[in-house]
Amino acid sequence: MRWFVFLLFLFSLSFAQLRVVATYPWIGELVKEIGKEKVSVYVIAKGTEDPHFVVPKPSHIAKLRDADLLIIQGASIEIGFLPPLLTQSNNPKVQPGREGFLDLSQFVELIEKPQSVSRAMGDVHPEGNPHYQLDPHNIPKLARAVKEKLCSMDKNNCPYYETNLKDFLRRWEERLKVWDKGFEKLRGTKVIQYHKLYDYLLRRYGIELVGTLEPLPGIPPTAKHIEELIRKSQGVKFVLQDVYHEKRTAQFVAQRIGAKVVILPHDVGAVPEAKDLFSLFEEILKRLTQ
Amino acid sequence: MKKVLLALGIFSLSFAQENLEELKRQLEEQRKLIQELERKIKALEEAQKKQAEREETTQKTERPAPADRTVELKLKYSEGLRAYSPFSQRAFLPDISFIVDTSFVSRNVKDKTFKKLEIPGLFHTHENDHGHGLNRERGFNLNYGELYLYAPVDPYFDLYATIPFTEHDVELEEAYAVTRGLPFGFQLKVGKFRSSFGRFNALHPHAWDFATEPLVYKVFFGEDGLKEKGVQINWLAPTPFYLLLGAEILQGENEQSFGTKGFSVNTKKDGSGTDIPISDTRKPNLYVGFVKTSFDIGNLSVLTGLSYAEGKTRINHLKTDEPHAFAGRTKIYGFDLTAKYLIDSYRYIALQGEYIYRDQKGTRYGYNPAGNLITPSLSKKQGGFYTQLVWRFDRRWRVGVRYDLINKNDVKRNGIKRDLPDNLYAYYGMIEFNPTEFSRIRLQVGQNRAYFLEGERKKVNEVILQFNFAIGAHGAHPF
Repeated sequence: MRWFVFLLFLFSLSFAQLRVVATYPWIGELVKEIGKEKVSVYVIAKGTEDPHFVVPKPSHIAKLRDADLLIIQGASIEIGFLPPLLTQSNNPKVQPGREGFLDLSQFVELIEKPQSVSRAMGDVHPEGNPHYQLDPHNIPKLARAVKEKLCSMDKNNCPYYETNLKDFLRRWEERLKVWDKGFEKLRGTKVIQYHKLYDYLLRRYGIELVGTLEPLPGIPPTAKHIEELIRKSQGVKFVLQDVYHEKRTAQFVAQRIGAKVVILPHDVGAVPEAKDLFSLFEEILKRLTQ
Repeated sequence: MKKVLLALGIFSLSFAQENLEELKRQLEEQRKLIQELERKIKALEEAQKKQAEREETTQKTERPAPADRTVELKLKYSEGLRAYSPFSQRAFLPDISFIVDTSFVSRNVKDKTFKKLEIPGLFHTHENDHGHGLNRERGFNLNYGELYLYAPVDPYFDLYATIPFTEHDVELEEAYAVTRGLPFGFQLKVGKFRSSFGRFNALHPHAWDFATEPLVYKVFFGEDGLKEKGVQINWLAPTPFYLLLGAEILQGENEQSFGTKGFSVNTKKDGSGTDIPISDTRKPNLYVGFVKTSFDIGNLSVLTGLSYAEGKTRINHLKTDEPHAFAGRTKIYGFDLTAKYLIDSYRYIALQGEYIYRDQKGTRYGYNPAGNLITPSLSKKQGGFYTQLVWRFDRRWRVGVRYDLINKNDVKRNGIKRDLPDNLYAYYGMIEFNPTEFSRIRLQVGQNRAYFLEGERKKVNEVILQFNFAIGAHGAHPF
């Protein structure tokens, strides 16, 4: 009986806020910026993890069960772990197509959409490149989408979310000017990356991508591919490395072509300095211009 | 006179002269006029020609191209589908995948002998059995090609079907619907499905960590596991940690522990006596309950559960060389524990184990050497476990070891304990290479010391090289 009362108490306590589950930390940060103390946020993946390979732990199922809103990155990036979590969540509210489900990839223009797909091409996403959070100009659009969703689910607090959005956008636009100026200096710089992870950032600022260490998306580097890559990599300044893949290949290539390995965070929490959305981009800029 | 004539002559001459000049002038004027007219006509003609040309060109551009049939096509065909199919439902095709499992087996026991091996008090086969066991023959095996379908039915149900093909056979192994929208954390499953008893039972063979099933599953649930028609309801508790409670009502036709069909047994082995009918069980016959919970300690995820199954039992082996049958009831208890330590995105160490205990009571129908029916009471209390350690040490590589043991094998006939072995064990080691999540090459070596042949323990050494491929839209696997 005492247990039951305690459970009931927990239940009522958590009911006051809108319970949001986000698949990745950057989405969680965005929701916190707009919702502040009116929402509680649970994030499934860690910033240090490979976003394609998140373990579908049962503990996530327990959080999805009580969620009012699930916000995903979309473009099939969560396909390896989210569907089984969702079917086991026994929560109709957050199923795709219901009100408590938001796919943020709907609000940005995806690049590199393949004409046709086959598994022989490696891990390609039919919808296009899913790593769109790394274009800082996409963030305001997404912030607005999150605000709209929170407003539609919690009408009473809509003015509150509006105020938070305005405040966030003001601060963001301010920093964006600084970042634009900073990244502009990198226009035309040649880089190599491990996976097609930073394409949105590179495209935004005209940084030239010479190649990836992976021969195909999701396929580990091969000796033949690396030799070929080295041959065409004259003038490459940086080898961009994510935090979760092995770093030996990047170091080997960088040494051969006289470039510098730069470990770039792709998400909030990937490196200790990237504490929130602002510091994520500050850190990327810092690491590329240092 | 002459003068007058001359003057006249001159006058007339001059007059004539004047006339001539007038004529010349007129002629000249007319010539000019003609030239003017000619020029005008020419200009007119030119203008006309130009006009005609212009008209021709404008006509050319304004007229629709006679060879271009796109408009006609568009009127007839739906452009998006590129076929005459305005009612095409292609967009509603379910997720379809096909999984192929093939292997090479090397074994120290001939296939014929291998089929005859038994596990005393727990497992035996008969001449006319044709099970679906994997890796049955030495050499190459095509274990199965499994068709898998999934799609939402409507806003209320999801439908899943698993249809494994063997070389000569096809089976509707699973076909069930799951609710999408029950409130308060409930979910209902109806159809034929793998029971959620324990940890291993619900896994499809291509999701197994080893090429062979654990001994405890083989002896208590058979080579296909506990797979039944029925209904399941589960409830995910509103706790901050994972807590799932579930109950199943199943038909209970499992050939190793349950069974619904009654039989008729003759008092004489040669059939000359009277028949004693043993009725069918109640149907549905099998009740299953389970509770599962999970929690995280840092990077360590623990999933553990308790399971219980109870039903009546009918086993009919009367048509064999040594006719016997059993009627009674069976209770099965299970405890499972999985602890997975996640090193990073690609590497983990997972410890998994299950203990299963069976309590079976009833009457055995058999014949004494004189050919008379004897019906001793039979009670079986049997239990065992498997435990395995799997290490994914690289994104594409896994190694693992497993130990199987059945250490309780109490079988009593009329209260008298039979002398049966209770140290039945097997161990396996495996290494696998997974180029992607869609292909797998696994090498497994193992020794099984649970098999007996004519009362003597028969050691089975086995090497299996297994290939598994999946194509199409196949959903991700749960934890």
